[in-house]
Amino acid sequence: VNDWGNASELRDIHGEVAIAGIGETEYTKASGRTAREIGAEAVERAIADAGLEPADIDGITWSGAFADFDAAAFHEHFGTSHDLWTSPWGGGMAWAATAPYLAAQPIREKQARHVVNVFPVAWATQRSSMTGGPGEVHAAQSLKQNLEVPFGWFPQPVYFATIMRRHMIEFGTTPEQFGAVALACRRHANLHAGAVMHGRPMSLDDYLSSPILADPLRLFDSCLISDGGAAYVTTSLERARDLLHPPVVVAGVGEGFSASGTHWAQQAAFTSTPQVFSAPGAFAMAGIEPGDVDVLTVYDPFTVVSLMQIEDMGFCPKGDAGAFVEGTTLHHDGGRLPFNTHGGLLSHAYVLGIAHVVECVKQLRGTAPAQVPNCEVAVYGGYTGHMASTLVLTKDR
Amino acid sequence: VNVAIKRGTFPLPDVEDPLTAPFFAGAARGELLLPRCDACGRYVWYPAEQCPTCAGTSFTWTAVSGRGSLFSWAVVQRAFLPAFADQVPFVTALIAIDEDPAVRIVSYVVDVAADALVADMPVTVSFRPLAFPTVPDHSVIVPMFFPSLSS
Repeated sequence: VNDWGNASELRDIHGEVAIAGIGETEYTKASGRTAREIGAEAVERAIADAGLEPADIDGITWSGAFADFDAAAFHEHFGTSHDLWTSPWGGGMAWAATAPYLAAQPIREKQARHVVNVFPVAWATQRSSMTGGPGEVHAAQSLKQNLEVPFGWFPQPVYFATIMRRHMIEFGTTPEQFGAVALACRRHANLHAGAVMHGRPMSLDDYLSSPILADPLRLFDSCLISDGGAAYVTTSLERARDLLHPPVVVAGVGEGFSASGTHWAQQAAFTSTPQVFSAPGAFAMAGIEPGDVDVLTVYDPFTVVSLMQIEDMGFCPKGDAGAFVEGTTLHHDGGRLPFNTHGGLLSHAYVLGIAHVVECVKQLRGTAPAQVPNCEVAVYGGYTGHMASTLVLTKDR
Repeated sequence: VNVAIKRGTFPLPDVEDPLTAPFFAGAARGELLLPRCDACGRYVWYPAEQCPTCAGTSFTWTAVSGRGSLFSWAVVQRAFLPAFADQVPFVTALIAIDEDPAVRIVSYVVDVAADALVADMPVTVSFRPLAFPTVPDHSVIVPMFFPSLSS
């Protein structure tokens, strides 16, 4: 019974807004750059891609938890001073999916015309000064610091090793099935010159022999640590039709929450994600079924998170994702569910989901390096532990 | 609550943090204590200011049997913090307590080989000192768990 969480009540914005511009920086290992510089470059490129000028941007959303490039940084970088509609509830992770929903409100109310959402990160550069790398923000929480870290249940690879094992216990998922996710991501990264792991093929043997970090979780079940960032410009669908590229229509948005709080250890539905609550609303708003999805990108910090979201979004029955992803299912060219066609967090870059949305836009424009033929519906599944989100994008018909 | 990680005894627990102090004080006396909502009687874990079920704000730290089952576990091979360098490999686990299996205690599973662990096997609490070579001259008594002896 799905009584362990709930969906946010969202207004139906199907067809109101579209993504008109995308911008990406290089995705790299440690670059020595700051997240603020990276954010500026991503925003600059997104504005240019849309055929706009910085002064045309009158709204900006970013992640309040990582406020590296905010409204003040925008004005400083571009030398502008005009009014900006702002929200710190955008950026990456789950919010990379809901930022267009945020933008739809000021656009509808004529408070803004072109809203840019940005997420930069420089964790590869910062890593050596962080306690437990990206675990640092977790170790800083007193409950984790007292009830988890002392017991070695830290950082994220250990949480997800524990979730993987329970998925194996409940559903019989095998190492080879987790490996199928890693292999598909690497395969796509090898078709994408901008991916951090481009030029480094992976076989199933490579996957199985990669170092075990926390049994059953291997190094190759785990995301990269990267520097890089991306941004995208949301505007009204009508306005987008006047800009440089064919509009990518925001057809559906969803957001779901677990009622078990924010700690992974205490999630009542330990082997599920709140996509159970998020995806149905987004698909209903868009008027689609899972079978209509031509390409799926999901926030994939570890292979098990991909399997869980594939199940929870309804692409296969709960517990069956292991068998579902075996073989060529996730391949961009002829797979039943082309998946993380840029390589995902595992093999493209760990930029926390913002590049997943950009990849969806490229797929719908027909300009993706690993292009899915006749792609008309692209979906991003965002995940932040107790929260999940879903963004359905389509071609303008 | 976010706190800077500059406490000299990190990654030992801060036994004086008011939200979790009774847990460690109980362990030092050989008792496994969990906060129970005075209004609805549910165990509220992790400790919170407000009961997520009934919004009650008054709790009594209550002794439980110390028996539970092995919900899931990881065999940590990579030391993610310097403090764990001498300790790997070790088993860190989620223990579902018998009184309310929705309550999971994060702890070590001890006195058993990792490859002998079985899902949902019964385990029993044992209170033992936790110490790290990076934090000399400090230790904290904490609950750990071992496979229950068959009767």
